Amino acid sequence: MTSIFLLTVGFLQQIYSDWMAPPNVLVCCSGHKVPRASGVRRLPSHFPATNRRYNRNPKKSKTMPLKWVFNWQPNAGSTVNSQILNEVSQCVESMNGVKEGRWKATLTFYKPMLRDQALAGEFPREFIGISLPEQPNKYYFILRVNKIVLEADSSIQLIMEKLQSYKSRVALNFEGFQYQLGDFQLRVGKVVPTHSENLRGIVMEVEYLPISSLEKSKLIMDEFVDIWQDAVSKRSLPGHFMHIEPNFSDYGLADHYTSQHTAVQYAHVMGQLIATVQAVQAGRN
Amino acid sequence: MECVVQGIIETQYVEALEILLQGLCGVHKESLRVHEICLKSGPNLGFVASEVRLLCDLEQSEPTWTVKHVGGAMRGAGAEQISVLVRSMVESKASKNVLRLFYALGYKLDHELLRVGFTFHFQRGAQITVTVSSVSKMLKLHATDDAVSITPGIQLVEVTAPATSENYNEVVAAVSSFCEYLAPLLHLSKPGVSTGVVPTAAAAAASLMSDGGGTTL
Repeated sequence: MTSIFLLTVGFLQQIYSDWMAPPNVLVCCSGHKVPRASGVRRLPSHFPATNRRYNRNPKKSKTMPLKWVFNWQPNAGSTVNSQILNEVSQCVESMNGVKEGRWKATLTFYKPMLRDQALAGEFPREFIGISLPEQPNKYYFILRVNKIVLEADSSIQLIMEKLQSYKSRVALNFEGFQYQLGDFQLRVGKVVPTHSENLRGIVMEVEYLPISSLEKSKLIMDEFVDIWQDAVSKRSLPGHFMHIEPNFSDYGLADHYTSQHTAVQYAHVMGQLIATVQAVQAGRN
Repeated sequence: MECVVQGIIETQYVEALEILLQGLCGVHKESLRVHEICLKSGPNLGFVASEVRLLCDLEQSEPTWTVKHVGGAMRGAGAEQISVLVRSMVESKASKNVLRLFYALGYKLDHELLRVGFTFHFQRGAQITVTVSSVSKMLKLHATDDAVSITPGIQLVEVTAPATSENYNEVVAAVSSFCEYLAPLLHLSKPGVSTGVVPTAAAAAASLMSDGGGTTL
């Protein structure tokens, strides 16, 4: 109990020092000048010259809390199972996490509808669509190879259907429970195909409510994750949660957190899950 | 889905049309400046060719993008009897890298246009939008500043209203009824059915300009 209290005080001190610190100099897209070779024709201003100019005015973006998305990395030779999910949920509750309700995100893999399959290499191999509970009227497309994340209205799914050029190959649900832990919100959930209960993975979102800046929140997020990993490790589970932050600037995303950052994180988590499954299969073979 | 009719008017009568629309709609016009990019699927993509339009609204301080898909028109004997085209249409706002995404997906630029003019949005039995615009093509890729009118001296008038499979009869009636008010200045018909300019336009315009729209046409 005492240690939890001290940890809470530590967090409060961190938040306080974070607020009192001089504003960080952020690497903002608006200040980035893209050199142009002489003789290159200038495009009209409404055409982004590069991804980096995408979010030129982050102040206009909807303010939203920052989050990190984790996936469960099983130890070599082990796999995910529902017992791990139960233990993780109990771990949150043991840290006085208050259960708030369910959450669900859906990720869909699209594949091109081709007249000649031999030309499949000309089209993106991994084209992902994501719906997020925090933005129920929006839909996100991600092309990891091209470093593109697109935010659109949900009706874009209907447009894709009508175009008949890409079709849904497989869809996965990320679903579970949401917990409140002071200024943090945790979502722990399973990864299952939409029409089955076969557990494919475990994910966790850690959301820090007061701050929207990735850079400013890094320290406090790192500290929280240390405490969290410590708590999980005491349960001797066969694996650990892993967070690899994508390079958001590659996608033209700024320091100010948006739902597009979340979509990119989910796409990368999915990449890790696939890599894990492939590694297990390779080990068996 | 949407209900749509189109017509053309000589540019010299557009001011009169504006006065008439202002009187009929009771709302102020909104300026229109839209860069429309029409993309088509590459030769190997999709079992049938597909087409999508990306509209960039240049009137906003920060240009906004919309993806628009216009589907096939309603068919059958009933559809042929009505003077308004009913067709499927889906729109979605999108972030500004939407063109990059569609290029990456295998879509190719077919053509691009610049529409400049004004619109009126109002409720009159349906949520009607009247768009009056001059349509220009670009001589260089994306060069909206160097656009050249496709039909000099002529502007396109389009009346559209969103509809559903349940209410499209009422919407068609509302659009048809509204079009009658514009008849002295221009004739509106289904897209692709060209009816040209109307002979009464000059007299109607003169009448409107002389009394600021007070005359009942």
